[in-house]
Parts: sequence; C-alpha cells; structure tokens
Amino acid sequence: MENLIRIGSPETPDISLNPILGRLEFSGKSLPEDSATFFKPVLAWIDEYLAEPVSNTEIEIKLDYFNTSTSLVLMKVFNKFQEKENVVVHWYHFPEDEDMLESGKEFQVLSKLNFEYHEFH
Amino acid sequence: MKSLNSIYELHKKLEDDQIIIAYEGELNPQITNSVLALTEKNLDKKIPTTQARRKAFHIAVECLQNISTHSEKIEKYPNSIFLIGQEGDEFFVSSGNVINSDKVGSLQRRLDQINNLDKEGLKQLHMQVIKESLLKQESSNAGLGLISIARKSGKKIGYQFVEMDSENSFFSFQASFLKEPEAV
Repeated sequence: MENLIRIGSPETPDISLNPILGRLEFSGKSLPEDSATFFKPVLAWIDEYLAEPVSNTEIEIKLDYFNTSTSLVLMKVFNKFQEKENVVVHWYHFPEDEDMLESGKEFQVLSKLNFEYHEFH
Repeated sequence: MKSLNSIYELHKKLEDDQIIIAYEGELNPQITNSVLALTEKNLDKKIPTTQARRKAFHIAVECLQNISTHSEKIEKYPNSIFLIGQEGDEFFVSSGNVINSDKVGSLQRRLDQINNLDKEGLKQLHMQVIKESLLKQESSNAGLGLISIARKSGKKIGYQFVEMDSENSFFSFQASFLKEPEAV
C-alpha cells in the first residue's frame, strides 16, 4: 500500500498518509467548497488501510483553519476508526484559539476516540 | 456617460462606512476563492487582533460558500453582494443574493430556529447536524454553515427578504461580532 501525499494550496491542506508508520497527517488550512470531492481519495485510502492497519494509528490534525464542509469530512474520517484499537487523534491548536480547542473536544465526544491536545509553537 | 462624481461619492461612502472589503458580482467557486484570498489580505491589514481576524474570516468563508453552493443560478439576477465592515464596537459581515421566493419560508424558519437558540443550544445543534451527516450520502450540510456563523458571532443573525418580482426575492444577511470579546 502506498503513501498518499498532497501538497497544500490556499484552500486545501497538506496531507500525508503513511501506512507503514500508521500516521495520517493533515496540516494548514482546509476550506474547499466541495470537501466531499476533494477528500474522496483520503477516505478511500483509509478504507484500504483499515483492511490491514499497523498496531498503532496516529491521526494528526494540525489545521489552523477549516470550514464546515471540511468538518463533515473529519467526522467521516474519525468515524472510520471507531471501535479500532490503539488509535490516537493528536489535535493541535494555537494557544489563544479556544474555538479550535473546543471543536476538537466536540469531535472527541462525537467520535469517542482517544484525543490528545497540543499547542502549536 | 456615468457622472464622474458618483465614483468619488461611492468611494467616500465606502470609506466613511469603514468597509474592509466589498464585492459585487457573480459568486462561483473560483471567484469565491479569489474573494476569500483578498478578504484574508485585507483582514490582516485592517483587523489588529488575531481572534477577531479569525472570526471574520470564518464567517466570510461560510457566508460566501453558502451563496456559491446553495443559490441556484438565476439568469435574470446573476450578481450577489458581499461586504465586511465595522461600526462602533462591532465588525460585520454582510451579504445579499437573489433566491427563488419559494425557498424564503424554509430559510426563514431555519434562521429563526438558530436565532432562538443560546450558546449551548447552538453547540448541541451543531454536533447533532455533524453526527446526522454520517447517515447521509450526499454532502449537503443542512445549514451547518449558518449554525457555525451564529456560534462565531455570538449575536442574532440579521436577515431580510425583499420581493423583487413574482418569482424572486433578495436575501440580505448580516452577522456581527464584538471587536473585543466580552469580559466573562
């Protein structure tokens, strides 16, 4: 299975999905108007990964901004890992960005996944 | 020829109203991205606090993408208006676009529903809509943009419908928020 790498643009995030390390990373800004289409390859990659996941999966959300259309995709991503073992979501936010922190906590409640919170430096 | 005076008058009016960005024209996904790029630049220049800048940008994204995604193209009235400005102790994001009059009722109900909720109610509704979206095939976000705007704004959303002809109505929208967050 291959890595999935996307370089970001003003509207889309950097994406790096590595099946050997079990590491899924999203960083930058995400505001595509049609997030469902943009993230389709990501969701397909996750389905393939989940057929044979490594022992620990880490999902790194290092977004400094995302729109509501992206939030629906994030929910789909987290939902795919429900009831899988050893999955941690690393949720990053700027120290003063309380909305982003709260948003992580809401996703934690909705997905019931293990979340760890980190501040950007 | 258009009176040259009117150019100065329009400029002066926008200056007096402390407009940060104003756009009048078509809003498709591509133009929306350009307007947002320009919005971000202007916000950086004119709003000093990071928090207020983030709020304004967030509301601007949802507002523009709502228009671009949901407004069916009405050939007779292709143009929308979008502006960000400030008045007193508030920043505001406003927009106006033409919608089919038969959509007025449902949009008004949704806005009233949102305006009747407090902070905690909006949070619950937001989470509920995200959760329910998992069950749906299509990517329709069922007003998530509006809920998100209301949460960022912390104030009631202002709106108005003006009948333009037998089929179409002009939808004016405004979300504002305090320049300095209220002390708790």
